[in-house]
Amino acid sequence: MYKFLFLFLFTIISGCAGQQQENNDLANLLYIQNPQDVLEKLQTTEPVERDYAQFHLNIGLLQLMTGDFQSAIDTFSLAKREMAVLAASSVSENIGAGTVNETLRSYSGYPTDRVMVHNMLALSYLFNNDIEGARVEMLQADISMKKLAKRKDLNGQLASSHLLAGIIYELLDEQSNALISYKHAADIIEQRGLALPIGLKQALLRMSFKLGAQNQYVAYKKQFPNLPVPTNNNKNQLFALYFDGVVSNKKQNSIMVPDHDNEQLIRISIPAYPQMKHRIGRAKIAQQKTQLTTELVENLEVLVREDLDKEYPSILLLTTTRAIAKYELVKQADKQDSLLGALVNIATVLTEVADLRSWNMLPSNIQFAYIETAENEVVINSSNTLSQKITINNGSKNVVLINSLSNEVFHYQQ
Amino acid sequence: MKVKTNLWLAVIATFMISACSTSVERLDSQQEVDLSGAWNDTDSQLVAREMIEDSLSRAWINKFVKAEGKEPAVIVGRIKNLSHEHINTNTFIANMERELINSGEVQFVASSSARNEIREERGDQDLNASEETRKDMGQEYGADFMMQGQINTIIDVDGTTQVRFYQVNLELISIKDNRKVWIGEKRIKKLVKNSKLRE
Repeated sequence: MYKFLFLFLFTIISGCAGQQQENNDLANLLYIQNPQDVLEKLQTTEPVERDYAQFHLNIGLLQLMTGDFQSAIDTFSLAKREMAVLAASSVSENIGAGTVNETLRSYSGYPTDRVMVHNMLALSYLFNNDIEGARVEMLQADISMKKLAKRKDLNGQLASSHLLAGIIYELLDEQSNALISYKHAADIIEQRGLALPIGLKQALLRMSFKLGAQNQYVAYKKQFPNLPVPTNNNKNQLFALYFDGVVSNKKQNSIMVPDHDNEQLIRISIPAYPQMKHRIGRAKIAQQKTQLTTELVENLEVLVREDLDKEYPSILLLTTTRAIAKYELVKQADKQDSLLGALVNIATVLTEVADLRSWNMLPSNIQFAYIETAENEVVINSSNTLSQKITINNGSKNVVLINSLSNEVFHYQQ
Repeated sequence: MKVKTNLWLAVIATFMISACSTSVERLDSQQEVDLSGAWNDTDSQLVAREMIEDSLSRAWINKFVKAEGKEPAVIVGRIKNLSHEHINTNTFIANMERELINSGEVQFVASSSARNEIREERGDQDLNASEETRKDMGQEYGADFMMQGQINTIIDVDGTTQVRFYQVNLELISIKDNRKVWIGEKRIKKLVKNSKLRE
């Protein structure tokens, strides 16, 4: 009987930990294999139902990176619905998290995931030539950010989301909405202590000029004196977004100590992120005589750490509660039979694993550049990728998505 | 005693299994069912019916009949989705087309995609159909008015409670001279409360 109980618990826990390890390995594999190979490997895994949202977020992202936009839309929409349903608390899952470990709770996504899913959906719709669908996602991202907004707190507020909204509104000639979105993006970037990308400064100048918002235009001209004055020309516009690297995986920090009378072992496991060590790479966009580099808009390494920091009070509370519950359980079992006590103690130690789940295939950071040109060709270079020539039509508006992990550059033109 | 316990276990198990299984119930297509609070078939039908009723009750139609001596021919153009939801505007357009045709007060012209298919068929008839049954080119009925519009939303959120405000604006434009002969507006407001707990 005891053997079966032990085997049963061991199987469950080793399964959970093994699956997350496999997922982390696949995310790391993105640095050496192309997204298509990683996608195929991920699709052969069978996640437990409570990890479906995480699974679908990663699958959707890989589908986007491989250019399968319709599948990416379907998969991300599924993940979005799953996260919406899981936003409500489950009593049974909370009991499981409070007594066994936190992986028994369904993955409902961190604030960054809940906003970023709209960004990825918007890009999928855009490159699938459905700009109205992309616009819908940007409105939903705005609602998600408003839901998450707290005074003087940037958690769940994404500059990249506002920037993308601004680009989509500008493509749709909704200048007022575009200016508002660019302003939100600039506010967040400044509050995070980053330098404003030149492309965003140009966007603020351009939109305030086109909208005829004279006071704002004069203020921006004063703020950015070195930028050229916008004109009503018919030059080709190119908005370039660059996904650099892969965000860090969480790791487990554990300690195991004997209790005060050395009768049982107590183990505590907490998730943590390793120190940030990703070196930010840049994409280069060259015309005949000039060359631009993309600039940082969103450092997702910082955002995912903020998300986890926000969770720490509840993680610590639950870990402490669980340690007390497990201690009492072992004590009661030991009173009945010392062998049973020992087996239950082993089970409580083995089941104490940290929740390492996250949307771990997101880019490490997102960058942006803007070009206004009379030329019909630009050459794009990024780390680990080959040069790509992009042909642009006269008077056209273009969006390109460059990825450091793949040679493909996606291009939307109107 | 043991038999009785087993019986209870069987009953509980049956209940649990039946609770997990998929169930399907046929509903009247006119019945109002709101699950998520999002734009649904009921909203689409309701707005189409009310707005077409409103448009056909206004002065422009009598003025046109008096001036031209015939019923106006209408076509439904583009309905822009500017809302927070992925709304299939095709079902809304289909609902409006049905209401317009069934009113019997206007002539109705097929959409541009439908017209292209019919033109292809006429081209094919030109080559393959007998002279008695062949339909000639250049006999199409030109529309007098085009209906265009947009669906907008405003969403106010506080925690798990949302107020969803939908505003549908339609306008009927004279194809001859770009005059707007009718502007209609329909608003729907929904209060959506999501549960803080789940199974």
